[in-house]
Amino acid sequence: MASTSKFQAFLTETGDIARFTGRYFVQGVRPRFEIGELLRQCFLIGYNSFPLVGLTGFIMGLVLTMQLRPSLVDYGVESQLPVMVGVAIVREIGPVITALIFAGKIASSMGAELGSMKVTEQIDAMEVSGTNPFKYLVVTRVAASTLMLPILVILGDTIALLGSFIGVNIRANTSFTLFFRQIVNSFNFGDVLPAYIKTYFFGFAVGIIGCYKGYYSKKGTEGVGRAANSAVVMSSILIFIIDLIAVQITDLLGIN
Amino acid sequence: MANLKISSLKLGLFVLAGLFLFILTLYIIGKNQNFFGSSFEVRARFSNVNGLIPGNNIRFAGIQAGTVKHIRVINDSSVEVVLSIDNEMKPYIHKNAVASLGTEGLMGNKVVNIVPGKSAAPLIGSGDLLATPKTVSTDEMLLTLATTNNNIAEISEGLKGTIRRINQSKALWGILDDGSLAGNIRNSLRNLSQASLHTNEMTRDLGDIVSDIKEGKGSIGSLVRDTVLSSSLARAVEKVRDAGASIDRLAGQLDETVQDIHRQVAEGKGTVHALLQDSALARKLDASMENIRAGTDAFNQDMLALQHNFLFRGYFRKLEKEKKKAAAKNETAGTH
Repeated sequence: MASTSKFQAFLTETGDIARFTGRYFVQGVRPRFEIGELLRQCFLIGYNSFPLVGLTGFIMGLVLTMQLRPSLVDYGVESQLPVMVGVAIVREIGPVITALIFAGKIASSMGAELGSMKVTEQIDAMEVSGTNPFKYLVVTRVAASTLMLPILVILGDTIALLGSFIGVNIRANTSFTLFFRQIVNSFNFGDVLPAYIKTYFFGFAVGIIGCYKGYYSKKGTEGVGRAANSAVVMSSILIFIIDLIAVQITDLLGIN
Repeated sequence: MANLKISSLKLGLFVLAGLFLFILTLYIIGKNQNFFGSSFEVRARFSNVNGLIPGNNIRFAGIQAGTVKHIRVINDSSVEVVLSIDNEMKPYIHKNAVASLGTEGLMGNKVVNIVPGKSAAPLIGSGDLLATPKTVSTDEMLLTLATTNNNIAEISEGLKGTIRRINQSKALWGILDDGSLAGNIRNSLRNLSQASLHTNEMTRDLGDIVSDIKEGKGSIGSLVRDTVLSSSLARAVEKVRDAGASIDRLAGQLDETVQDIHRQVAEGKGTVHALLQDSALARKLDASMENIRAGTDAFNQDMLALQHNFLFRGYFRKLEKEKKKAAAKNETAGTH
């Protein structure tokens, strides 16, 4: 009985999220647009996340390079280390790790911020004062996270590859030109474009889940904490699910 | 609001950096795949492209020169590959260049290698068809290798037998174990060297003789060099020719004579005619022969009488005895 009610709760939440997403699109295309607030959110979400994403990217590139080296040395293809790391970072690790870090930072802050606004009835007050709270709070945040995550991923990939260059140079010696050429020559559009496009969906998922959890948080301080927590967990799971769907689609399209 | 302005600047920088990197990546990939820059197309036909796909690299003399644009099947035995080659490579590729398929590294992507031809040829133009060698696929190679392996197995089998026979051959091992053989060979070689020395001397002598002949010394020299001798030789030849003419004449006369005789025979005149045609003469000759035979018979009888005469009988008996003895000896030799 308990499992049925849980399943029902899951279905209900899925339906609610779908409705919330539909409301986002309806409100999002209607004027008036909150450009100023959107830019502020872009700055807060994108620019302020950059140090964190850069740090994790750098460490990922460096560590991945050093971890892959022994296996490649065993196979006698040590020279292909930049290619291996480059493809791994650009295709999969860069987008997913960045999105997870982004979810950890942004979804939780969105859940907590909107949750506390809900709890302290600021949202209701906004509605009374004539401002559309959904437009002002939700649309700008979701749009900002959708637009900023791809840029964060590109910059994060670049920093990860720099980390990889340093990682290669710890044990071996390679010139930057050779490293750069090796990676770039191994790429084609099938490596870069699907990875880039899926980051928009990651960003959108993080924004929607963060806002949804905050916007509909339960009353009380506990509700705010739970909103922040479940926003991170759910958006992280959603990132992996979107990744799974993306790889199937690219595979079906034959550009994998 | 001042706070927002500063953040706008940083945000702008942030977004532009991201977009710039993204566009740069796309541009570099596009450049690698020849989406930008002018290029021209040439074609090459292969019987089997071994998994070549559009976008694979083209190398001219090992340098990246373009990419495969598309691949289409022409008929059941040939596949046309359209190669998109950078214009900057155009002045270096000639019409007799050969396009072949290869791989990057041992297991890497397929590439089309364009190898310059050996002789001079005009430069390549757009749409030209490049020559291709017959490609060898790994399968074919392995198939050939299987045949080769079989052959090697046969050869090694034969070799095994041969070596076993060599091992079993006492004569060969005798020769190999024979310690004196080396000495003999050494002696032979020494002899050979002496012989060659002699040959050398002989050659030198021969050289001397030839030079003598050249200088006209000795009889052969005079034969070769003496002009007087040659003129007398010429005279001798003249005489021989004269003699030949006389013989010719004689032969003509003989011919006439024979013809005369023939005519006489035909006309029934002369001695020869009598000999060949006169039956009376033949009868006479026959009679003479008869007489001679009769004479001979009489003589035989006389001889028989003489054998029985006591004066000669002893001698004839002795002759007969010796004959018998010889016959008996022959018989005994035959039985053995």
